[in-house]
Amino acid sequence: MAETSTPERVSGTWALEARGLGKRYRRGWALRDCSFRLPAGRICGLVGPNGAGKSTLLGLATRQVEPTEGELRVFGVPVGDSAVMPRFAFLGQDKPLFKRFTVAETLRLGRELNPGWDAAAAERIVRSGDIPAHARIGTLSGGQRTRVAFALAFGKRPDLLLLDEPMSDLDPLARDEMGTLLMAEAVERGTTVMMSSHMLAELEDMCDYLLVVSQGRVRMAGDADALVPAHTLVTGVTRDGSLPSALDGHTVIENRVQGRQFQAMVRPGGPLSADWQVSEPSLEEVLLAYLRSPDAPALYTPGARVEAEGTQAA
Amino acid sequence: MSTIPTLTDTREGRATRPRFLGGLTWLVLRQHRITTLAVLALVVFTSLWIVYQRNELTQLLDAAGWPAKEAPIPVVGRQYEYLTMLLGSLPVVLAVFLGAPLIAADQEQGTAQLVTTQSVTRRRWLTAKLGWCFLTVLAGCAVLSALFTWFWQPHRSVLAGNWLEGEIFDSTGPMLPALALFLTAAGVTIGLLLRRVLAAMVATFVFSVGAQVVWGELIRRKLGTPRFVTYPLDGDLPARFQDAYELDRWVGSADGTLYGWGVCAEATEKATDACIEEKGIVDNVVEYYAHSQMAGMQWAGAGILIAGTALLTGFVLWWASRRPV
Repeated sequence: MAETSTPERVSGTWALEARGLGKRYRRGWALRDCSFRLPAGRICGLVGPNGAGKSTLLGLATRQVEPTEGELRVFGVPVGDSAVMPRFAFLGQDKPLFKRFTVAETLRLGRELNPGWDAAAAERIVRSGDIPAHARIGTLSGGQRTRVAFALAFGKRPDLLLLDEPMSDLDPLARDEMGTLLMAEAVERGTTVMMSSHMLAELEDMCDYLLVVSQGRVRMAGDADALVPAHTLVTGVTRDGSLPSALDGHTVIENRVQGRQFQAMVRPGGPLSADWQVSEPSLEEVLLAYLRSPDAPALYTPGARVEAEGTQAA
Repeated sequence: MSTIPTLTDTREGRATRPRFLGGLTWLVLRQHRITTLAVLALVVFTSLWIVYQRNELTQLLDAAGWPAKEAPIPVVGRQYEYLTMLLGSLPVVLAVFLGAPLIAADQEQGTAQLVTTQSVTRRRWLTAKLGWCFLTVLAGCAVLSALFTWFWQPHRSVLAGNWLEGEIFDSTGPMLPALALFLTAAGVTIGLLLRRVLAAMVATFVFSVGAQVVWGELIRRKLGTPRFVTYPLDGDLPARFQDAYELDRWVGSADGTLYGWGVCAEATEKATDACIEEKGIVDNVVEYYAHSQMAGMQWAGAGILIAGTALLTGFVLWWASRRPV
């Protein structure tokens, strides 16, 4: 699953491909100049503070939001083309369902509105949660409702599953159950997943790809396995109360000066000075450093970056 | 890309099974099941009520020997009043309870997102929703309008109210369905823009009442070309104009010059006579609509309302295709 992506692959193998994507609302840009690629088959975490543009991005990918500029392709098909509709499934933050429908009717909705409906899979997911088919959605618990929403999403047999904070309103037990279900179904079918979440632990467990957005811009995109090792946490002695010039050759994401000591999150541009203490940061430390430093240069691992127009790999 | 084994057998099995009610049609009918049944119940009840009242009226009139003899007074009771009130408020009720929440409820509860992230486009979904809504309104109102016309038309001379008054004109012929469709379309549009059910229902109610006032005050009486009848100043209006709707009244001289009705209203009869003499006034002139113009005026009015409905529907589909609902 975690095969290394190479830019040479055909565009169909990109589950999502954004080029200069932007969305402006009346109050300003929610997302701007957003370019990245998500290879097929990956589980991608979409990370960022509130209002960073995560929901806007998911809205653009699910045709709920019209882009102001740029383009977004789902498996090579422009998202404005209705042919992409059977390819993705979406689970919104509040998982809307018809409250007066029964569980069976909710699954029938999936069958009636989707050409490739997989009734067996949807029923299996519902059954394994011990949810009676004739129960009305309005009478179910939050965890059960989420399970039905998952069944609806997986019954669509999507190639790309988009989730907007799917677990945020669940208790720890239900969250664990849904997480397991999500991973099992996604891995079994090779579904590409993009999920936004605030829970870094959740992301660390599930995701092998990361897309970090902040203030409407992409801050980091690529393999989780490659993003973290690209960074080093450096501790050393300051020169005259400021950062030593030896750091100039490296990309400093974030730094903190305390008395005669400094600590910096850097992307090493070469060998680091032997005077410094170095350690490998955790995913959480890297993410927080990027989110706290909006001016630091964005980081893409190979393949995640979309080159200038026309150089799309054939 | 995806290498999932396809369950072709189950898919084919489903395709061959006859499905009378499938896809969006099923969804829309299921979602609006209670509303559909409520409208059906209302239409059935009101239809029976009209039939019952008509039956009562014909029995009464037959017993009295009408039309050869005078119809007894009162010929209809309170029930007739309630019936006309019910029919008069039906378009508003449908606009508020069917039109306003049609899209707004799905926006408010997020189910618009649920449906439009399945494999159907917003436009198809909206078309299905609007189709259900308009068909329900059209069918219900067409039945009631036909029945009420059948009740009113033969007995109009004994029933209270002139045909150009709202309670008759707007509740018979093509007018009832057309008015209900227009107000419902307005309710849908208001709901789409406000995105909140309660706010949309209140706004639709206010709009509907306002629209009916404007309709009654400014438009209804301009739907046809008024006719004129001239008769001697000291004569009576000929009986055949009994069911005409009088718009205005003048007095005129022999050469056709028209004067206002009160042009010679002087303090004394002598002065009045002198005035009439001086101006050469010999005729009463009445500007009126004949009852035979009613159908034409109703179709003209219905045409305007249907055009408005089409405009609003076009706007809803255009609005929804350029932005998510």
